[in-house]
Amino acid sequence: MTLTDVIMQEPNVQTLQRWLKKVPYAVFLDIRADIRNGEIVFILPENKKLIGNPSLPALHGGVVGAFLEQAGAFHLIAKMNKPALPKIIDFSLDYLRPARLQDTYAQCTLTRQGRAIANISIKAWQEDFEKPNAIARAHFLLPETD
Amino acid sequence: MPVLSQDQKFRLVTLMSAHIPHAALLGIRVDSVVGEELTLKLPFQDALIGDAEAGTLHGGALTVLLDQTLGLATLCSNLGEPAVTPTLDLRIDHLRIAPPGMDIYATAKVYRSTRKILFVEGVAYCESREKPVARAVGSWVRVADVDLSWLRAAELGNYQE
Repeated sequence: MTLTDVIMQEPNVQTLQRWLKKVPYAVFLDIRADIRNGEIVFILPENKKLIGNPSLPALHGGVVGAFLEQAGAFHLIAKMNKPALPKIIDFSLDYLRPARLQDTYAQCTLTRQGRAIANISIKAWQEDFEKPNAIARAHFLLPETD
Repeated sequence: MPVLSQDQKFRLVTLMSAHIPHAALLGIRVDSVVGEELTLKLPFQDALIGDAEAGTLHGGALTVLLDQTLGLATLCSNLGEPAVTPTLDLRIDHLRIAPPGMDIYATAKVYRSTRKILFVEGVAYCESREKPVARAVGSWVRVADVDLSWLRAAELGNYQE
């Protein structure tokens, strides 16, 4: 079976909404998802408990990273025929501007699907999609299929 | 300026940590400062689980711990004065899955410091540092000096080296 069979083109909204509730840490961060113009948009709602720098105030950089990693994983899950948790191999994050205390959004680009590995880019923004707060790149190990 | 003592670094990092609400919420605390190396501890809690069936920690929780540890390790460097240092970038290799239910430690150290940039590396582990669950490397930007007058003044009053 090739990965084109595993990864579907259209995201499965029901799968996505179910998985948002299946990952305890995603529930803790209150990550949500929406389909806009056929693209999955992830939302990290404004929450005081995520503050890392109270004087700005800004979200903890690690939380922004965690949100982007989880967005990448959910993006893959939503496109799988047999949804299962992908395993993070490595994660690279560039901080571009502080994430303020407001809703944060993320959108993913599946750059390459290998036989067992997916390369995915994730972008986080707040008010303006063209002014990202952070960009990330991740490799995920995909679950074996029979 | 003389470099800070281990005790001074420990107090500085502890004070800075207290001003990072999300880290405090997760219960991340300063474990030790040894020379220029900082170790923080993240107590395991169910809210941080990534794989509900296996009960294992979420990679994102490691990202929070490593960002925090590498970031605060900049204060423990003897290469230049402690500074306010936002993260520029962070790269994490997930080497093995952390065993379920285990507290996680992260140790980090600045390995190169320039006028503007601090290069930091670190690992996260459970039982043994020789078996890291993740390895991180990143860059931090020196934006302003930290006012240490309170720390040095307190030190003068407390004991003589």
